Amino acid sequence: MELNNWLLLVPTGAFVLAALALFVIDSIDPDSTNGTLLSAVTTAGAVAAAMVSGGLLLSGAADPGVELFDGQLVVDGMSLIFTFIFGSVTALVALGSHDYIRELPHKAEYYLLVLLAATGMSLMASANSLAVVFVSLELASLPSYALVAYLKTNRGSVEAALKYFLIGALSSSILVYGISLVYASTGSLLLTDIAAEAGTAASDYPGVLGIGILMVAGGVAFKTASVPFHFWAPEAYEGAPAPVSAFLSSASKAAGFVVAFRVFVVAFPIGSVVASIDWVLLFQVLAVLTMTLGNFAAATQENVKRMLAYSSIGHAGYVLIGLAALTGVGGGTESIVLGAGMLHLLVYGFMNTGAFLFVALVERWEIGRTFEDYYGLAREAPIACVAMTVFMFSLAGLPVGGGFLSKYYLFAGAVGAGVWWLALIGAFNSVISLFYYSRVVKAMWIEEPSEPIEIERYPTALYAAIVIAAVVTVVLLPGLAVFDTAAFDAAAALL
Amino acid sequence: MLETVPVEYYLVLSAAVFCIGLFGILTRTNALTFLMSVELMLNAANINLVAFAFYWSNLTGQVFVLFTMSLAAAEVAIGIGIILVLNRNFDDVDVTEAATLKW
Repeated sequence: MELNNWLLLVPTGAFVLAALALFVIDSIDPDSTNGTLLSAVTTAGAVAAAMVSGGLLLSGAADPGVELFDGQLVVDGMSLIFTFIFGSVTALVALGSHDYIRELPHKAEYYLLVLLAATGMSLMASANSLAVVFVSLELASLPSYALVAYLKTNRGSVEAALKYFLIGALSSSILVYGISLVYASTGSLLLTDIAAEAGTAASDYPGVLGIGILMVAGGVAFKTASVPFHFWAPEAYEGAPAPVSAFLSSASKAAGFVVAFRVFVVAFPIGSVVASIDWVLLFQVLAVLTMTLGNFAAATQENVKRMLAYSSIGHAGYVLIGLAALTGVGGGTESIVLGAGMLHLLVYGFMNTGAFLFVALVERWEIGRTFEDYYGLAREAPIACVAMTVFMFSLAGLPVGGGFLSKYYLFAGAVGAGVWWLALIGAFNSVISLFYYSRVVKAMWIEEPSEPIEIERYPTALYAAIVIAAVVTVVLLPGLAVFDTAAFDAAAALL
Repeated sequence: MLETVPVEYYLVLSAAVFCIGLFGILTRTNALTFLMSVELMLNAANINLVAFAFYWSNLTGQVFVLFTMSLAAAEVAIGIGIILVLNRNFDDVDVTEAATLKW
């Protein structure tokens, strides 16, 4: 392989190297008393991955995409955008975890699992064969199960891990069975080869291929927390340590989507497989169900963390529009809506991670988890509450952060693709979401606390992570322009 | 020409094994039985992969089976770990016992 091609693997390599460095540190100092060093190494590795992938993306080094290892991996605009997301989210989570797990044992293992999961996710972004999809998906999932169970004497954490693991194991076996059926009807696991055979397979074995594609969609729905495999998400996010919830709901969801985008767009071209299954229609149904269910359930929650979990399901529904609007209206419009899906995940990576880290901060202060416990918080911690307000309004789609623009692109793209009713339902859901997001803001700024809140210390690293996430969210409102052409080009290259 | 079993039979066999696994997951509450059921479902996929590797005369499917088996083992290792902490916290390996969070 040429030197330039190795350069394209540097972002993934940065995660691996940081993980290996943690192994070395842990073997020298098995008690891992030095949390600052562990957190710093993890953050540095993740920042390096984000910077390099961002640099490669904006310099156009992977345009057109480069296939590596006989086409098993591909590094292109989309994989770099998502590796940038994983790097940023991992960095924020590692920074925020420093204070969250300060008094807990097994710190090195914690950071190691985060990095290994991030490695798996960045491989998912590059996976160009169903074999690599499965292996990298498991590499991302297995550490996540262990991370959710990290507080192993806490009943909630263990229960969350159990449910996450059970649904995860079930959905990964469904995914493998789907892959085996796709292989049975096409005779290949490489996405490009499957695409070449898909037309013949759809007319010769429509049932086998159709069920295979349906099952692959099921596996993806688990990773992205979409209907019908969404119900693990509220449990896992509520029970897990809050930084882990941030990691799972932002990075893990994005990883699921990058697989969905690549596998469905590249391997199952809708024109060829429509005879056996119309997956665009499938995703239209799933998008509507996912966003409606997520937003309505979020509106009825009393627990802020659980509300965020359901809102995360709702956002999965918005991003599904990226696939649901590929109605064959032509490359220009389709690349905008697919690119908008990527941009939304990019902004979501910052605003949602920040929101969960704020919950981590409140958990750290042992204030409580319900809306009522948040009453009057802004008087004690105004900076963090300003940041949380930014996250909430940006998640709702108000023009205070990048969430406004990415949502605008998504809905505008859907209208352009002729599925205006998806945009309408999306806009309706955004209005509902404004209701429950503003409840948090109201609780923090307006309501009176029933008893005075006492905060003893303000953890620096966690604060830094929240403030950085808030600043980036705001900056992404004008700054999304840096990424939008790259995202639309990446989507156009895929289609 | 060697007489071989028609490839459709393997599809039926694997679908049967898959459904037995799925049935086990839906009806049993013991976490260890659940793991065994998942193994059945994974092995159903393996049957397909091996049978169709022969049918298409390429090795892709057979090689992928090796990956699936090793990942299934890794998954069980994590699963057993989680079931162990479940047992320590709830004194049971029944998946319905763990219901402190709102379902």
